[in-house]
Amino acid sequence: MSSRTAKPILHSAAWRISLWATLAFACGTLLVFVFLHRFVADDIQRRSDAWLSGEVEVLGDVAEQTPMNALHDRLVEEVAELASKEVPNRDASASASNDSVFFLQTGGDGSLTLWVGAGNGAANLKAIQASKILPDHPTHLRVQGFAIPFRVASTRIGDGSYIYLGLSERDELRVLRNLRARFILLWLLLVLLGFGIVFYTTRRMLSHVREIAEAASRIGHSDLHARVPTTRHNDEVSHLALTLNRMLDRIESSMHQLHTITDSLAHDLRSPLTAIRGKLEMSLSAAMQVEHADPIVSAIEELDRLTDFLNKSLDVAEAKADALRLNRVPLDLDELLRIMIDLYEPSMSEKGLQLRLHSSGPLIIEADEALIHRMIANLFDNELKHLPASCTVHLRLMVESGGASLTLEDDGPGFDSEVLPHLFERRVRGKESNGHGLGLAFVDAVARAHGGQVSAANCESGGARIALSFPLAAE
Amino acid sequence: MRLLLVEDEIDIQSFLRTSLEETGYEVEAAADGKTAERLAVDGVFDILIVDLGLPDQDGISLILKLRQLGVRAPVLILSARRSVDDRVRGLEQGGDDYLTKPFALAELVARLRNLLKRNSPAGSDATRLRVLDLELDLLRREATRAGQVLQLTPQEFVLLEYLCRNAGRVVTRSMILDQVWGMRIQPDTNVVDVHIYRLRGKVDGPGQQPLIRTLRGVGYVLKDR
Repeated sequence: MSSRTAKPILHSAAWRISLWATLAFACGTLLVFVFLHRFVADDIQRRSDAWLSGEVEVLGDVAEQTPMNALHDRLVEEVAELASKEVPNRDASASASNDSVFFLQTGGDGSLTLWVGAGNGAANLKAIQASKILPDHPTHLRVQGFAIPFRVASTRIGDGSYIYLGLSERDELRVLRNLRARFILLWLLLVLLGFGIVFYTTRRMLSHVREIAEAASRIGHSDLHARVPTTRHNDEVSHLALTLNRMLDRIESSMHQLHTITDSLAHDLRSPLTAIRGKLEMSLSAAMQVEHADPIVSAIEELDRLTDFLNKSLDVAEAKADALRLNRVPLDLDELLRIMIDLYEPSMSEKGLQLRLHSSGPLIIEADEALIHRMIANLFDNELKHLPASCTVHLRLMVESGGASLTLEDDGPGFDSEVLPHLFERRVRGKESNGHGLGLAFVDAVARAHGGQVSAANCESGGARIALSFPLAAE
Repeated sequence: MRLLLVEDEIDIQSFLRTSLEETGYEVEAAADGKTAERLAVDGVFDILIVDLGLPDQDGISLILKLRQLGVRAPVLILSARRSVDDRVRGLEQGGDDYLTKPFALAELVARLRNLLKRNSPAGSDATRLRVLDLELDLLRREATRAGQVLQLTPQEFVLLEYLCRNAGRVVTRSMILDQVWGMRIQPDTNVVDVHIYRLRGKVDGPGQQPLIRTLRGVGYVLKDR
C-alpha cells in the first residue's frame, strides 16, 4: 500500500530546512566575525602607529643632539634595542637579525645621509620617495625585496633633513592571522553545532507529520474508523492531526449516511419484491395449464433481473463514492480462477469456446470473497454471451510491478469502437447486448474498491482484452 | 414439523405461511421480537425463520437471545440488507443458513429441508450412498449405476454426491453453486444447467429410468422412487 521504507535523508524536508537555516546562520556569524576582525586590525594599527610616532620623535631628538660622527653608532644601538625589545606584538622566537625595523635619514636634497637596517637602504629610499610621507602620519609602505610591507613614520628635524622610522608589519599580520585561524575554527564549530540542533529538532517535528501522513494513507477506502495519531503538544502539527481527524469524522458520517440511504432503499424495494415474487409463485403452483404458467414464469424472471439490477446498481453507486463495504479475507486468485473455469468450462465448450489459464501459481490478495466471485462471474458471463463460436479466451495471472495482474484476452471481434471509451460507465452496452449495461461498471467498481484498476482495449489481432490489477496481500 | 416464522411484513408473512403450510409445516407466526420470544419459549419448534429487520429489535440479537434461552432449533435468516453481517456469517458457521430477499419459494423450502436434515444425526458419515440403482462410493470416489461404473470427473462426482444426499428434494441453482462450488453468485448464463445436462448424459443412459429431473424455474431433483 504505502512505501514504508524510510526516504533517503538527503530528500527529506528536515535536511533542506536545516541546510537553509545553517546557511543563514553561517552568513550571519561570518559577518559578525568580519566586523570583529576589522575592529581588531584597526586597533592594532592604531597602537602601533602611536608607538611609531613616539619613537620617531625620540629619534629626531637624538639626531638633533648627537654630533654627526657619533650619530650612526648611537642610532644602531637605539634601533637594535627597538627591534629586539620595544616593538609591539613582537614574536620572541623570531630570528635575532634585524629586518623588522629600519632608520633612514635624508638630507635637504633628498639624498640618503644615514641608514640603519637590513641591506643598504636604497630600495627603501626609492619607495619613500615614490610615496608622499607626511610627518606625523604613519604610512603603509611596500619595499621592493621585502615580502612584508612596512609602516613608516617620519619627522623633520632642525637642519631641514627628514628622518624615517619603518616598522615591518610582519608581527601585526601574524597576530591577525592567528586571530583569523581561531575565528574560522570557532565559526566552523558553531555552524556544525547549529546545523545539528536545527536538523534534530526539525526532524523530530517532521517525524510527527510523517506519522500523520502514513496513518492517513493507511485509512483507505473502507477503513474509515481509524484516526491519525495526535500529540500532547498544542502546536501546528497537532492542529494538523486534529483537523484531519475532524475531516475524517465528517467523511465517515457522510459515508454512513450513504450506507443508510442505500440500505433503506434496498430494504424498501426488496420487501415488496419479495411479496410480489412470493404471490406470483403461489399462483404458479396453482395454475394448471402451461399456457397460463408461461407469463407468470417470465414475470418472475423479469423480477429476478430487476433484483439483480438493483443489487448491482447500488454496488456500483457505492463503489463510485468509494463507499463499498468490504469484508476482506486472504483469497488465492489462482485457486479461485481454477474453480471458476471448472464451473464455466462446460458452458463454454457447449458454445465452442475455449478457456485457457496461464498462471504462475498461487497468488494471494486481500479481498471481499463474494464481490470477487461476482466480478469474475461477470467477466466470464460477458465472454460467454458475446463471443462467437470457436474463439479462445486466454486468462493470464501473474505478479506484475508488485501487484496481482489478471488479463482476459480473446480472439473474437473485440469491443465496438464507439463503446470502448465508455466501457466502464453505467448503462453502456454493445448494440447486440441484452444485459442492463452494468456488467463492466460493476467490474470496475469492485476493482477500484479493492485499490485495483481495470482497463479494456482491443488487441492488435482484433480481440478484446481486459486487464485487471490488484494489490498483493501484505506478508 | 413445527415452524416459527418471525417476519414483520404482513404481506410476506401471509404468503410464506400459506405456502409453508401447503408444504406440510405447522406454522406459528410472530410480527415482532417480543412475541417471537414468548412463542419460542412456550412451544417447541423444529425450525425457525427469522427476518433481520424486526421493528423492536435486531433479528440477530433475537436469535442469540433465543439460543441463550435454550432454543436449539436451526434458524433460516432472511435479510433484505445489502451486506452480510459478520454475525450472520458466524451463525452460518454454527449451522444456520441465510437467504437474501427476494427469494424463490422453492429455494426457501429447499434450504429449510437442508437445515432440518443437517441437524438430524443420521447418515452424515456414511461411506456409501444409495439411491435406487445408483450407488456412490465416497472413499473411492466412484459412482455406479446398475453395476456399471460411471466415468465422472471429480467435479461431476461432487455434484452427483450433493444430489444424492438431497435425493427426493428440490435443489436450486443457487444451492448448487453455494454447496458444490462454494460461491454465492447469480450468473446470468446457464452455467449450472450445462453441468446438470452433462451429468444427466452420464447417469441416465439410454433405456434407463431418468433419475435427474428438471423443475422449470425452480431447480433439480434426483428421484428416489
